[in-house]
Amino acid sequence: MNDIDPFSLLDKRLLITGASSGIGRQAAISCAAMGAQLVITGRNFERLQETANNLEGEGHVLITADLTQEKEISSLAEQAGQINGILHAAGISKLAPVRMIRKSHLEEMLSHNTCAPILLTKELLAKRKIAKNGSIVFISAIASHVGPLASSAYSASKAALLGATRSLALEVAKQGIRVNCLSPGYVRTPMLDGLVQDGLGTDGNYKLGPLGIGEPEDIAYAAIFFLSDASRWITRNYFIMDGGLTVPMDIYA
Amino acid sequence: MSNDTRNAFSLRNKTVLVTGASSGLGRQIAISCSQRGAQVIITGRDKSRLQETFKQLKGEGHLQILAEQTCAEERAALAQATPALHGVVHCAGKQMLSPIRLLSEALMTQMYAVNFLAPVMLTQQLFQNRKIAPGASIIFMLSTSAHIGTPAVGPYSAMKSALLGIIRCLAMEQGKHRIRVNGISPSAIPTPMWGEDQQSASLQAQRARHPLGLGTPEDVANAAIYLLSDASRWVTGTSLVMDGGAVL
Repeated sequence: MNDIDPFSLLDKRLLITGASSGIGRQAAISCAAMGAQLVITGRNFERLQETANNLEGEGHVLITADLTQEKEISSLAEQAGQINGILHAAGISKLAPVRMIRKSHLEEMLSHNTCAPILLTKELLAKRKIAKNGSIVFISAIASHVGPLASSAYSASKAALLGATRSLALEVAKQGIRVNCLSPGYVRTPMLDGLVQDGLGTDGNYKLGPLGIGEPEDIAYAAIFFLSDASRWITRNYFIMDGGLTVPMDIYA
Repeated sequence: MSNDTRNAFSLRNKTVLVTGASSGLGRQIAISCSQRGAQVIITGRDKSRLQETFKQLKGEGHLQILAEQTCAEERAALAQATPALHGVVHCAGKQMLSPIRLLSEALMTQMYAVNFLAPVMLTQQLFQNRKIAPGASIIFMLSTSAHIGTPAVGPYSAMKSALLGIIRCLAMEQGKHRIRVNGISPSAIPTPMWGEDQQSASLQAQRARHPLGLGTPEDVANAAIYLLSDASRWVTGTSLVMDGGAVL
């Protein structure tokens, strides 16, 4: 028993979106280190190439795609080939209080964070690209339950993934495909740097839990667990990982 | 292939205490932790069954300590006898069914003593004896019944829910030492707790409501490995529900 490491990603081909920076980039590097063969995607070829230069192993594929364009989603799904798992790491965040937002702001958040991962999943399923017993992992954010200031559109776009995860998981369970959602708190990424520049936590530090800020590796490791056979019985899970940020909050109130 | 990512999922150089290790989930968790490189301290109250687990541990340097966890003196002795720990997995537990209308104080008291008081006070003793190393991971075995309502499961369900309160508060208290506290909430796993008959009506009914079928002790052990390893160093105060997508 246990001749095969259940956490290994050898013999798995994984698609990772948002792989040119932050969580997606680190997840690609860490998954490759666990033996996975990757299809990485992002909008910018140079930055994607920079991620690719850091991947262990051979045979990784780079595909540039703008996931807000249905045609590009479809062509990505077509080019991706057969995969055993997908990590939807692409996402954006912009701060805006509701009284200042326009429909375009809402649409931008929902289009990148909600529609893109759901539509890409749809294309992959319709084209039968996800192998039996595959693993689909969305990345939400604990903003879904905390609702920080000036984040209505972002929080809504991430909260939507919870419902999508649960419903989709029922639809694909007969093929043994699992669907889970990671829900991180604040992680040290270029996206967070951007938010800080835009005024996040100008009154001091934004609130952190007892274990402080997370590193991209922390999310990458959770992704490995959820993409590997070690989690083969876990589906419909909304996995909060936030260094304890929400532990003293009544987020279900 | 040795690299940072692989090391993050290793339990090498970690000492892990597993309670309830003489059968079921505790036994498998102890075995899996040893396979992943941990030194394992196993405890339980049945000498021969504990020995049976001990024989199945991989590698050297493991310890077995016989203890009746519902007894304060034996908990204190266990906490003193154990070396410094990087992980604790509280697996000892017992399930008894009773609708509240028919609930006896004796049954409720027993559920409290076994499922709540024992793991909480053992944890207290381990801290008091400075046996929990900085950065350690503490896991309480819960159950989906900590989160959902099921007829006749009230006494057990309540004690598992009560542990959620301990998990959250202890996570806040020990964060400064980077000690993490989490739960694992499995639904039905065919173990001796469910009876010997794998085809029993209650297990068949459980199978029917799990889209991915029933889980195995190995599945729970893998979740424990993730939560014990440094791969989850930023995860605290949560409980990992694992239920094969079960719907009621």
